[in-house]
Amino acid sequence: MNDTLIQDSLKVAEKVVAKTTENNDSSNLWMWVAIGEFAIIIGLILANRFKRKPNAKQQFKDESLAQEVDFNNIINSSFHSNELYDILKVKCHPDRFPTDPKLNEIAEKLFQEITKSKTNVKRLQELKIEAQQKLNINF
Amino acid sequence: MLSNSWNNILDWFRDRSERSKLVRSFNESARNSFVGGIAPTLLKAKISKGESAYKHQFSNWLNTGYRIQAFTGRQLSKDELMHIGKVILNDEILVRKLVVLGWDTLEIHGDEGTYGCRWQLKDYIPLPKFNQE
Repeated sequence: MNDTLIQDSLKVAEKVVAKTTENNDSSNLWMWVAIGEFAIIIGLILANRFKRKPNAKQQFKDESLAQEVDFNNIINSSFHSNELYDILKVKCHPDRFPTDPKLNEIAEKLFQEITKSKTNVKRLQELKIEAQQKLNINF
Repeated sequence: MLSNSWNNILDWFRDRSERSKLVRSFNESARNSFVGGIAPTLLKAKISKGESAYKHQFSNWLNTGYRIQAFTGRQLSKDELMHIGKVILNDEILVRKLVVLGWDTLEIHGDEGTYGCRWQLKDYIPLPKFNQE
């Protein structure tokens, strides 16, 4: 009789211990959730406080960095722009169209653009196509 | 003050990354052009000491030179060096990027001899005077 009573008491004690630890676990979990939320709120407040005020210098820098550089064109222009420029400046010279004032005007504009873009092979190629179409030049 | 320091640290890391990206992109394009037969000479960009007299408001403390070396196997003529330099300086986007990333000197030279050309980058881009605001 005493043995069964002791065994029952032990079982009850085990159940109590199990229940208590279960409760502790869930309270720990909620504590960590609260800490996490608190950390997120603090982080957001600090991020907002430390947010950079836009100034002209930073804006200039950001704008400059946002643009893309065409390196292939730069490398290509370093070796081939002179050659193309020499051809275009001769073929599109306004003096080659002395009789037709309309063509002369187009050639004048093209020639100015060619001179401006003498180190940009991509632009020179575009101008070459334009010259072929507008001035009927065969290259 | 804390905010400024934090932003300066972030800027420093971002600039370092952008600087190496710019050098890497140039070298990659130059290598592809050389391998593909578009460029007869291999160009290679690297960061050099630079010229302290060319400093501007965006200049870094150290290593302010953007050096391009042309591997021709011979000494380049002044015209050849000038032409490569002019191509780079006429690209406004590239010059702006170089300036805001802290470079102030552009150097071009060949792989033979010590002869080369050097340009002050701030002469090729209108820089607003931010300090007077």
